[in-house]
Amino acid sequence: MRKCGAAVAISLVLVGVAEAQSRLVVLRGARIHPVSGPVIERGVLIVENGKITAVGAVGAVPIPAGATVEDASGKVIIPALVDTHSHIGIGPRPSVPANNDINEGTGPIQPALRALDAIYPADPGIRLAQAGGVATANIMPGSGNVIGGQTAYVKLRGSTIEEMLIPGALGGMKMANGENPKGYGTRGLAPATRMAEAALARRTLIRAQEYKRKRDEYDQAKAAGKADAKPPERDLELEPLVEVLEGKRIVQHHTHRADDIMTVLRLADEFHFRVVIQHGTEAWKIADELARRKIPCSVIIIDSPGGKLEAMDYNPEGAAILERAGVKVAIHTDDNIVNSRFLIREAAIAVRGGMTEAGALRALTLNAAEMLDLGSRTGSLEPGKDADFVVLSGPPFSVYTKVLATYIEGKKVFDRSRPEDLRYATGGWDVSGRYPKLGGAQ
Amino acid sequence: MRIVACLFLAGGAWAQQIAIEADTLYTQGPAGTIRNGVVLIDNGKVVAAGAATQMQIPNGYQHLRAKVATPGFIDTKTSVGLSGIHNVAADQDQDEATDPNTADVRALDSFNPREPLLDYVRSFGVTTVQSGPGPINPIAGQAGIFKTAGSHGAASADQMAIRAYSAMLFNLGEQPKQAYGPKNKAPATRMATAELIRKALLDAQVYRHKWQEWETSEKKDASKQPARDLKLEALARVTQGEVPAIFTAHREDDIATAIRIAQEFQLKAMLSQATEGYLARDLIRKSGMTVLVGPAMQRLEGLQTENASLENAALLADAGVPIAFTSGFEGYVPKNRVILFEAAVAAANGLGAERTMRALTIDAAKILGIADRVGSLEVGKDADVVLFDGDPFEYTSHVEAVLVNGELSYQRKH
Repeated sequence: MRKCGAAVAISLVLVGVAEAQSRLVVLRGARIHPVSGPVIERGVLIVENGKITAVGAVGAVPIPAGATVEDASGKVIIPALVDTHSHIGIGPRPSVPANNDINEGTGPIQPALRALDAIYPADPGIRLAQAGGVATANIMPGSGNVIGGQTAYVKLRGSTIEEMLIPGALGGMKMANGENPKGYGTRGLAPATRMAEAALARRTLIRAQEYKRKRDEYDQAKAAGKADAKPPERDLELEPLVEVLEGKRIVQHHTHRADDIMTVLRLADEFHFRVVIQHGTEAWKIADELARRKIPCSVIIIDSPGGKLEAMDYNPEGAAILERAGVKVAIHTDDNIVNSRFLIREAAIAVRGGMTEAGALRALTLNAAEMLDLGSRTGSLEPGKDADFVVLSGPPFSVYTKVLATYIEGKKVFDRSRPEDLRYATGGWDVSGRYPKLGGAQ
Repeated sequence: MRIVACLFLAGGAWAQQIAIEADTLYTQGPAGTIRNGVVLIDNGKVVAAGAATQMQIPNGYQHLRAKVATPGFIDTKTSVGLSGIHNVAADQDQDEATDPNTADVRALDSFNPREPLLDYVRSFGVTTVQSGPGPINPIAGQAGIFKTAGSHGAASADQMAIRAYSAMLFNLGEQPKQAYGPKNKAPATRMATAELIRKALLDAQVYRHKWQEWETSEKKDASKQPARDLKLEALARVTQGEVPAIFTAHREDDIATAIRIAQEFQLKAMLSQATEGYLARDLIRKSGMTVLVGPAMQRLEGLQTENASLENAALLADAGVPIAFTSGFEGYVPKNRVILFEAAVAAANGLGAERTMRALTIDAAKILGIADRVGSLEVGKDADVVLFDGDPFEYTSHVEAVLVNGELSYQRKH
């Protein structure tokens, strides 16, 4: 534990140094994938005060006078990754019960819970994610509950959750169906079946509808000048669900099997909430249905099928099938199911399965940002957006490519050339001083 | 640029004569890597392998073309076939967690030839696996070596086995004590795990001695014949050095414990997983032990895998430790690791393509003692071949076809 503290202290000092230099950042000569536009073979990226101010071809973009220009020739720049489904900082490293705050397994309906009250900003998992090129994450409670709680949309910077949270971003609402919430059944509690999962969700959302009606009535009465109008009592469970009903808070719904996905859509139809299908292992089986209804789908790409029945029909070609059907696709880690360092690798496996490279890159960045309502500030390299980007040593989907640096709002939060950062890229962060000098293979 | 031709199998699906033409042929034998190479297969065996310019493909051979061809890959330790894809009690036959010493259980008796994960790993080039009991018991039982496909249209564990009892598996570290401690049963600590193993090995030595005494006695008096004990019988083959002991250990000190026990009983021993092997590499090299390198992409659970490094394989190999790859064990999603993926990460993190390909093929075969059958494309060996449309280690390359015993057992759909 003391060791961890020291590592954090060192990183804070370095962040401080980087901050002083972050006002103006110019990278020149890299192949740039803006994602929002065509690839620039030899590009320039200019960052001022944490925002992208210009991106274009070398020679076509004026470089501000006095700027220190970093030569990025031979390198590749992509937008920093956005992970729509992560448990870093809440599902801990190391994975011991003392630090595990992922599933409040004491009741299946937990909309009042906030992930932000449990996220540990010093957890090594956050630094692993930075080493993997992740800048933005939706950190969620687990899938053990039908309604798991409020998720946190964060940038992976800062030493408190307040610094990590994205200003103005409400976060999502975690829901789950299928196998996991049925865990209550083994304890003789509901839900023991998929039927009860849906019923519990519906009962709760109907309560939220009623609460919303009372609040709306009060708002109208107040607006009409009725002095005796009384607001309904505050209800911590129902308040965030009203935000769901109002479309301000997207339901991030864990669901695997095709019929479970259809159950989610049935609920969304009934309660008119906005939803992102999370995992969607069998989404490929109903790709046309999802496309027709414009339901976005954030998938996980794993090394093999199985491990649970609802993951049996995992299909490495699933993301490609969804892409071809016209579904908006993102790719996520569900860290620690997939370690955040391997998020780019997931997309590479999707390419192996037939996804286009452009589509796979978009799935890691802009599509993912849009699924968190963050598409206007991150996920692509455009003037005015947050300067969240990754410098790669080569093509994004090659096994030989390394993340050289991750920038969040113009600040370098991961730098492979720093030995203490490298340990997070290779592994072995907890043995830092004893890690063999041989590290950092090209 | 895909140049794998469709293969139309005429007549029986086996006993084919097949010619594989590859832009790059990794024979992994003395012929090395050949540009424009050809492998001829007849009746399940390699009958010729060499440069296209120096070979004539006889009439009647089916042709398969690929950019790259390699020998089938060898997963040196897994529970695939025992631990099923569904992960329900019905298909989990890897951990007999009712007794910490199950030296008498045999992979052969759990191995399900129809396990879908066998098909899955085969589709990534794995043609041979050493499969055995899982991570729970300190003395977990007998591993076997199996092909990942049957031949001649049949598939039984006995037919797929290259060796029924290839190694005795031991587990150190977190898992044994976590399984038994909460049941108020030993081992609840690492100390007890080590003690339990030592005591059993000692008992096996005594058992062997009793049998030797009886066998060398003049009269061989039937009434004095020692009773057979299946556990001690199996362990005695380990203490005699006939069968290797494989110790799964993650943490540096667990690796040291494995070496300590192996040296005390003069076992022919190997380490499996060795997550912190790179920290203990000098100790391992001095011990002369081989490391079956565990998946660097394994899910980091508990404390013992916390220091997993993508450079483990490279650092061990650089230190002079012989290595091969194991997919280890996964208890949840994903149910299995794929050694091709793990090898690719090792290749890209210091091990390099050549050493990685060796560790996947011929080195693994030699380590398991089956190099007379598999591991390279040499005359007389089993025709286990993997065909790729590009760099085998690139994420975006595809396995186009896999042959096991000369039979086309996987072909990519286009």
